[in-house]
Amino acid sequence: MTYLGQVYAILWKDLLLELRTRERVAAMGAFAVLAGILFNFSIDQTAVRPQDIAAGLIWMTLVFGGLLGVGRTFHLEAQDGAFQGVLTSPTPKDAVFLGKTAANFVLLYVVALLVVAVFALFFGLRLGTHPGMVALALALGSLGFVALGTLFSAVSSNTHMGETLLPILVFPLLVPMVIYGVSATARLLADRPIAEVAGNLRMLGAFAVLAVAVGAVLFRYVVEE
Amino acid sequence: MPSKRLQTTGTVLAVLGALGTVALHWMVFFWTPTEATMGVIQRIFYIHVPSAWVAFFAFGVVALCSAVYLWLGDERLDQAASSAAEGGMVFTTIVLLTGPLWGRIAWGTYWTWEPRLTLTLLLWFIYLGYFLVRASTDNPERGKRFSAVVGIAGALDIPLIHLSVVWFRSLHPTPVVMKPEGPTLHPDMLVTLMVGLLSFTLLFLGLFLHRYTLAAATHLVAVRERRAQA
Amino acid sequence: MPSTAPRRSDPSSVEALRTPGPDRPGDAVPALSARGLSKEFGVVLAVDGIDLELQAGDFLTIFGPNGAGKTSLLSLLAGRLKPTRGHVWVRGQPLRPGETVWRSRIGILSHQSFLYADLTVEENLRFFGRLFGLRDLDERVPRRLEQVGLLDRADFRVRQLSHGLRQRAALSRALLHDPELVLLDEPYTGLDPHAASVLRGVLSSLKDGRRTVVMVTHNLTQGLELASRVAIQVRGRFGWEGCRDDVDLDTFERFYHGVVENGAA
Repeated sequence: MTYLGQVYAILWKDLLLELRTRERVAAMGAFAVLAGILFNFSIDQTAVRPQDIAAGLIWMTLVFGGLLGVGRTFHLEAQDGAFQGVLTSPTPKDAVFLGKTAANFVLLYVVALLVVAVFALFFGLRLGTHPGMVALALALGSLGFVALGTLFSAVSSNTHMGETLLPILVFPLLVPMVIYGVSATARLLADRPIAEVAGNLRMLGAFAVLAVAVGAVLFRYVVEE
Repeated sequence: MPSKRLQTTGTVLAVLGALGTVALHWMVFFWTPTEATMGVIQRIFYIHVPSAWVAFFAFGVVALCSAVYLWLGDERLDQAASSAAEGGMVFTTIVLLTGPLWGRIAWGTYWTWEPRLTLTLLLWFIYLGYFLVRASTDNPERGKRFSAVVGIAGALDIPLIHLSVVWFRSLHPTPVVMKPEGPTLHPDMLVTLMVGLLSFTLLFLGLFLHRYTLAAATHLVAVRERRAQA
Repeated sequence: MPSTAPRRSDPSSVEALRTPGPDRPGDAVPALSARGLSKEFGVVLAVDGIDLELQAGDFLTIFGPNGAGKTSLLSLLAGRLKPTRGHVWVRGQPLRPGETVWRSRIGILSHQSFLYADLTVEENLRFFGRLFGLRDLDERVPRRLEQVGLLDRADFRVRQLSHGLRQRAALSRALLHDPELVLLDEPYTGLDPHAASVLRGVLSSLKDGRRTVVMVTHNLTQGLELASRVAIQVRGRFGWEGCRDDVDLDTFERFYHGVVENGAA
């Protein structure tokens, strides 16, 4: 079977497991809604228009909530040594990484869209004339995020500190994603012309590609015993 | 056994660096001219900038040694990386202490999100991650590999972080623009800066070599102890 | 008392092996061989310079107390661990972490099942089958399940299976890709007598002359049942190694304890 077949097998298995256990998607989804509720109480809507700060709120909710889900990437793998079965198979380690990252991406992107929908509902947001571009920005940002998150989740799962170590390892590296992602989203929500957003999307894309490449190369050293 | 020569070289470099640092302080306080716009407080620049140079140079060493360590698996490369990381973190802390001090006295605020200082703050956390991951892993070999991954990922991301932070700053300029170099650099100031750069680099290299030989020796002792028990 | 001379693990004693080595022209390439295999964890030396040579059809049982390094040795042979020193060859091909071809020749059964509790037995097998690049899963999976007596429980989630049934499922996973080298780590652990006899039945069917099996156990009776070769591992080394036929069943237990206490026969 081809390399892609192996990646797909892992992607499919992770999504199937998530469907069965609903572990992570429930946690992330609940987080999204509850965060929206808390934000409502933490913003003085007479002083600040939610439309103006929505981009930042959406991305930060995505980062914090996403970390919850990504942090448990290897949780089910640890049960009964299942991951050992994967690592001793002929599947290359980078294929394993890509499969897991792809699965995390699907989960996170669903949650991202949920966050936007929830916040649009709670704060009466207008998504601007190019909602598809907003979706694209979220997709590129999510991809970079899950790539780094999957790599370092494999690291943190093997330490005492576990998931509490993950923000420390990942947040500094996420700065470019936050900067370009929020900027692109804010401009789109404010109905700025697409030309102003193109550069940000390119940088988001570059970040995503770099994150996936670095993760694919370094993953084998992380899972090695 | 790490050669005696390394240790001696380390001592020589450290002493030279220390002497240079003393000379630097003399120059900073007594010789170099006062900068026109910012006044006396600007002199902290001669500590601040060389520290920043060493902080990032050290991280480059960390990343390079980490990459080759993962490739070749030679223990000594990891010892070099972790030794450089220790020195690097110290100098990063110096940057983060001198920067806000300068800002507070010169402009009244401790922190202004100046791009380079922001990058240094993030670098400090990457260093923190490097050490935390080593310390909290049961299997020491895996811990070394983990920290190598942190070093490499960090080094690859830093240029991107820098780009993004500078870009962000260009959109949201704060009223006070901190230009570490000042509008122009008088030749005497340049000399002082060079002395600072050289001394701090020598000091770092000396400390690095000493730390490295210590790490190598510690490892050898542990290995020999284990062999004696068997 | 077994009559084979005690064997130290060093390269010069290779000549004393009864099975031919690759240095003798005209002989078959060994199914599994290792030279000077060592593994250090930090400063702990788990495996200390082990040499090994097995032909196709051999069934090696490795006995040893806890902490002798048996699981580490098996992990090294499986390519799960990178050796600190030494090498492993599977049918003449060196085991290198980067290369993956040889992994399709090895099947591993551990006391952990290597299965996902929330997937069904069949889903698990199909998943691993795809990782191994197997194409004929539609007929291969039911065949393996039938071999271990789990065909009627193929759509049970692994979580719902008892330990004995889970081990059988794990066995079917381990053998799914028809490996020529089978590595078993304490497979009888926690099995009731019926489950143990099913396992024994499947394992004896592996002795078909072309497959090589290495089993690690601390149960002397079960370990000797199917073995063609026997080794006793103590503190990372083989304290003794020899042919099963040379082992006197009645005195083996005493002999074993002697080796463990002294570190050698």
